[in-house]
Amino acid sequence: MISFFVRRLLLAILTMWVVSVLSYVIIQLPPGDFVDTYISQQSASGSTVSAAEAQSLRELYGLDQPVWIQYGKWITRILTGDFGESMEWRQPVKDVIGDRLWFTVLISVAALLVTWGLALPIGIYSAVRQYSFGDYAFTLIGFVGLAVPNFLLALIIMYLSFRYLGANAGGLFSAEFELAPWSWAKLWDLIKHLPLPSVILALGGTAQLIRIMRANLLDELRRPYVVTARAKGLPERWVVLKYPVRAALNPFASTVAYLFPYLVSGSVIISIVLSLPTVGPLLVRSLISQDMFLAGTIVLLLGVLTVIGTFISDLVLMWVDPRIRHQMD
Amino acid sequence: MIARLFGRTSRADSASAEERFAVASQLQLTWWRFRRHKLALASGVIVILFYLVAAFADFLAVNDPQDTDSRRSFAPPQVISLFDDDGSFRPYVTVIRARRDPRTFRMVFDQSSKVYLTMFTPGYNYTLFGLFETNIHLLGLKDPQPGDGLYLLGTDRLGRDLWSRMMVATRVSLTIGLAGVIISLFLGILLGGISAIYGGVVDMAIQRTIEIIRSMPTIPLWMGLAAALPSDWSVMQIYFAITVIIALLAWTDLARVVRGKFLSLREEDFVTAAELAGAGQLRIIFRHMLPSFLSHIIAATSLALPAMIISETSLSFLGLGLRPPAISWGILLQDAQNIEALALAPWLLMAAVPVIVIILAFNFLGDGLRDAADPYG
Amino acid sequence: MTTSRRQFLTHSTAVLASTVAAAEALAQGAGGLTASGLVGRLEGSEVVTDPARMPRTFKEAPELAQLVQQGRLPPVAQRLPEEPLVLKPLNEVGRYGGTWRRGFVGPGDGENGNRINASDKLIFWDYTGARIIPSIAKSVVMSDDGKVTRVTLRKGMKWSDGAPFTADDFEFWFEDIYSNRNIVPTGIADLSPGGRPGRIVKIDEVTVEFQFENPYFLLMDMLAGDTLIGGGMSVGMYQQRSFGCYAPKHYLKQFLPKYSSEEQVNARARAEGFEGWLRMLHNKKDWNLNPELPVLGPWRTVRPINTPTWVLERNPFYYTVDTDGNQLPYINQIVMTLAEDLEVLNLRAMAGQYDMQERHIDLAKLPVILENRDRGNYDLHLDLAYNGSDTTIHFNMSYTADAEIAKWINNVDFRRALSLGIDRNQMNETFWLGLGTPGSTCPAESMPQNPGPEWRAKWSTLDVAQANRMLDAIGLTRKDSEGFRLRTDNGQRLRFQVQTVRAFLPWPQQLEMVAQHWRRIGIFAEVREMERVLAFTRTNNNEHHMHVWTNGGTELLYLFPRHAIPVDPVEAFMGPEFAKWYASNGSLGREPTDAGLKRIFELFRSAAGQRDEQRNNTAKEIWKILVDNVYSIGTVGQSPALMGVRLASRRMGNIPSRACIAQHCRTPGSSRPETFYYKS
Repeated sequence: MISFFVRRLLLAILTMWVVSVLSYVIIQLPPGDFVDTYISQQSASGSTVSAAEAQSLRELYGLDQPVWIQYGKWITRILTGDFGESMEWRQPVKDVIGDRLWFTVLISVAALLVTWGLALPIGIYSAVRQYSFGDYAFTLIGFVGLAVPNFLLALIIMYLSFRYLGANAGGLFSAEFELAPWSWAKLWDLIKHLPLPSVILALGGTAQLIRIMRANLLDELRRPYVVTARAKGLPERWVVLKYPVRAALNPFASTVAYLFPYLVSGSVIISIVLSLPTVGPLLVRSLISQDMFLAGTIVLLLGVLTVIGTFISDLVLMWVDPRIRHQMD
Repeated sequence: MIARLFGRTSRADSASAEERFAVASQLQLTWWRFRRHKLALASGVIVILFYLVAAFADFLAVNDPQDTDSRRSFAPPQVISLFDDDGSFRPYVTVIRARRDPRTFRMVFDQSSKVYLTMFTPGYNYTLFGLFETNIHLLGLKDPQPGDGLYLLGTDRLGRDLWSRMMVATRVSLTIGLAGVIISLFLGILLGGISAIYGGVVDMAIQRTIEIIRSMPTIPLWMGLAAALPSDWSVMQIYFAITVIIALLAWTDLARVVRGKFLSLREEDFVTAAELAGAGQLRIIFRHMLPSFLSHIIAATSLALPAMIISETSLSFLGLGLRPPAISWGILLQDAQNIEALALAPWLLMAAVPVIVIILAFNFLGDGLRDAADPYG
Repeated sequence: MTTSRRQFLTHSTAVLASTVAAAEALAQGAGGLTASGLVGRLEGSEVVTDPARMPRTFKEAPELAQLVQQGRLPPVAQRLPEEPLVLKPLNEVGRYGGTWRRGFVGPGDGENGNRINASDKLIFWDYTGARIIPSIAKSVVMSDDGKVTRVTLRKGMKWSDGAPFTADDFEFWFEDIYSNRNIVPTGIADLSPGGRPGRIVKIDEVTVEFQFENPYFLLMDMLAGDTLIGGGMSVGMYQQRSFGCYAPKHYLKQFLPKYSSEEQVNARARAEGFEGWLRMLHNKKDWNLNPELPVLGPWRTVRPINTPTWVLERNPFYYTVDTDGNQLPYINQIVMTLAEDLEVLNLRAMAGQYDMQERHIDLAKLPVILENRDRGNYDLHLDLAYNGSDTTIHFNMSYTADAEIAKWINNVDFRRALSLGIDRNQMNETFWLGLGTPGSTCPAESMPQNPGPEWRAKWSTLDVAQANRMLDAIGLTRKDSEGFRLRTDNGQRLRFQVQTVRAFLPWPQQLEMVAQHWRRIGIFAEVREMERVLAFTRTNNNEHHMHVWTNGGTELLYLFPRHAIPVDPVEAFMGPEFAKWYASNGSLGREPTDAGLKRIFELFRSAAGQRDEQRNNTAKEIWKILVDNVYSIGTVGQSPALMGVRLASRRMGNIPSRACIAQHCRTPGSSRPETFYYKS
């Protein structure tokens, strides 16, 4: 048990390290650096950067040093809690990310809840009423959600709600709350803006979960103990809900860790379309502009969150399901 | 499950069915079960139809998919009338003439004359299967006047025919998906198999790699890799590079399936029996184990294809996938991804229909195959 | 003052085809489009010069009056200079108050606010774009030999924090910022006419002189234009720039080593989270970022640009009043909200969530924007620009990597044939909704540097037969089975790469159309859409065959030459090697061998020392060579595509029915946003 825990922990740390190197390599892959971006931005707004100025900027940002030294500098600073400065936003990375990280988590968690809220009952229904009309109908709807490109759906829904409902276009807050300090009214305003992005985001993952839930439950329902319970004449509701659903939930829970990066990735695209203040648009923008410290931090942060999520879900699984604990040892 | 299967077949001819079932090969069993999965069967037919479209894309196209014309910018779909005024079967369309309204700046399309349709008409040149050069297309207009055109699904901003573009896009996107799946299948079977067979450190390393890849948010991975493609690559090279990138990130699921199946089959009685009978390792793998999870692999493959297609469209949306003048579903969707298209040319959204249909079809097909892959399950 | 004013006007008359008649011509340039009712007449606030019409007493916004009562602000008369600039608002004297809502797209979009605050320049163009008016300078007088230019400031003028604005601030900028090689590594051409560096010298508290060894008659235009020297502090000192010819000495000196010590400023920088004093300075001198920085423009930042909402608030010390003596601006604050995507920005504009927005509005959405006018309660104005071509295909004249490609690019008939092969009317109809003017790269006929009406169509109309004949004649006779012409060296298909970037306009899509047109003359063009950074890197490395960009700014050639002539290495699409050669005075890059280009460089170099009329004639000469040699292919221009589709809330007053869209007008700057107001 302890050795399992330690092993998982070491693995998680190793994974995080690889993730950090990969994050850094990936943001270094595209040709050009921030100064190139800066020059092109300047020229777009009609200004000049001389070659000497560009060189002094490169020196200033340490861009003229080998990549591994830049990585070393970066990771050492990260470990001391200093994420560096965003070159495009010209403020510390942690200030740039700031609230956006929590909005990302908020939207992802909201999407996760919606996903569960839809997938659980539908999955149970589909398993119990296998091959019924309802089973087919729900499965179909779930799959349509999976199949429709969600960025397109986001724009369509946003446009239609603008055209026919006169709704605000995009964002997480109404204009009047954008600048306001936090209050109950602002919180309520935020809650009102949450359903659209979280439902669109949830649609993709729901079909997957319905399928997993349905399959797991079908497996459980065929087990001897269920047959025994039925034979004993226990009420059907109790037969299904008491043990099979709980047993089926275990593998279901383990998908959470993998659903998270999926939702975060999905939220990147949707956030751009809906103009949500999450890390998604920030990430895309920083990758394009080669804003290394910012891009690196976001990739690292999301990767680490996922690793931690996986780790926690492993522990939870081990705790709730003795069989898994046994297998893992 | 077996009982139910028996129960149903035995109704017809109990004894012989039982016999047939007992001696049937693995694939036969799978096929028998799959056949009864009506939705999956229908999906299979749809998938085959799509690949036929891909094979005959140019033949099915009506107009040159790259041909632009400002006089038909955002032209709406034309309706084919099957019967002529006299009631005889003579399909025709009413061709259009466009002008821009000087106040609303919208294009206005006036109905013009009636033009009849014909089949197997000459159009733009293309090579069928890269072999025969021809200019015969399935549909066309009979004696068109200059400016007449057949636009079954309307046109885009540049006045290009959406129907023809969709035909060609189907070919591009489906082959990308297929090629991507084949690469990830190869990687998945190879690494999943190695992982299961060797176990220990190798297994550990591969499993960790999979875990790491899965815990990376995919968008930055795609972006980083796609942005790193050399700038002087041609459209075709980028096409293949995108395929490989998608595949490199998609093999993990297949590897897990393969590994899991390998491990569980190793414990199965028939493998133990073969081992006891003195069969060699390779013989066990290829003669006994592989056939028994081949259908699983097919199922996993068809479930992986939708992910490939979605990846391709998402990359195009971010401007990192295929670029014009290539035509793919992602590129067609990108053309529809703006307000003026939604408001002025909603028919461009039709580009999403084949994407949705094929993703559904692959999913149902994969589901059916997976269910059928466990004939004794 | 009267003499200097006259000096002013004589200059401006010669600078551009000014005169009332020319302004009329500008306004009428819209042609048949006026029928749509969307293209108005050029109009805007006028500067009052008649002393009799100048107000004697001054009024202020209620919010400021309250602060004065509380003793937190000096009275309005003390906040204004002794002789404030007096503007006669376009329609009427406005009311104080209100929040101007706009959209911006991120920390790189500083120009969104810079252009609104553009009246912090010494002198500026008025709403016609053809006349120069005083701004923070009361007058600017040039000596007869063009070597010395004397600037007289407004006595008693103050920074937004109440500190006096004097000649010291010019001296400080020139001595301590511009001449500090840590901050500005190399001198700029704007201050070195004929390659000889000039000086800025303080004469007394309100007088500054620009002194040069060579005649610099162009200086007046440079100071009024959107140039490094004349842009004003809002654009001159934002991001990593350190230009604009003055800076708040009393505030910025604390961040410079000279006024304490390097250790001290570095220690302070680290304490504030910067890596060194230079990083700190770049942050502190940027009005987009630093709310503490004193400014001279109508508004100052209260929430910086690197947050989801960039908020500006009125500058209580702004130097301009209306004819009733009301201190401007009328509008209290400007709130710009971040849009992560242009579709959202446009949708918000249509929903009436912005009060006036001309930036980032997409011409292709015009029909939808028009449909939603009542729903969003806004009016729409189309402002036509004066540059020749929004989509310009620049040949890389210094390309060498592939000798065969280079040979054809350097062949004038080849370039002309490619230009003749483009169906500009089709492009105009599809992408400009018919609102542009097809033709060559030369500026609009109403501009003083236009070489003549015949140059618009020169080599710039569709003639497929002629193009084919020309290509055959130069030896590109062999074709492959698809009809594309073959290389003369190895018989392979001749493939040209056209580099495009998705910015401002849908260039990749437009070039797809051009590639289709070129198919008819047997030319295979591969349209490559790439990230802007990558495209600029490739350009810089001399790797591109052709690059697509706007030629915006070239309507006044000398103020913004880089989109017409390869003189600026930053955007040298027409020949990066030649630009390096020109900018380095021959120490880098390569000298062009093309006779036309050599002549252009010669003419351009001589222009700075020429008087106005002669200078404009030189520009006409340059344009003739440019158009005749087709170094760049012009397609469609003089359109509203860039910042010319303007949504304005019906609640707002003093909104011009047509504004000048040009680089030097700092759109919407020359429409004087400080006179906009809310009617209710």
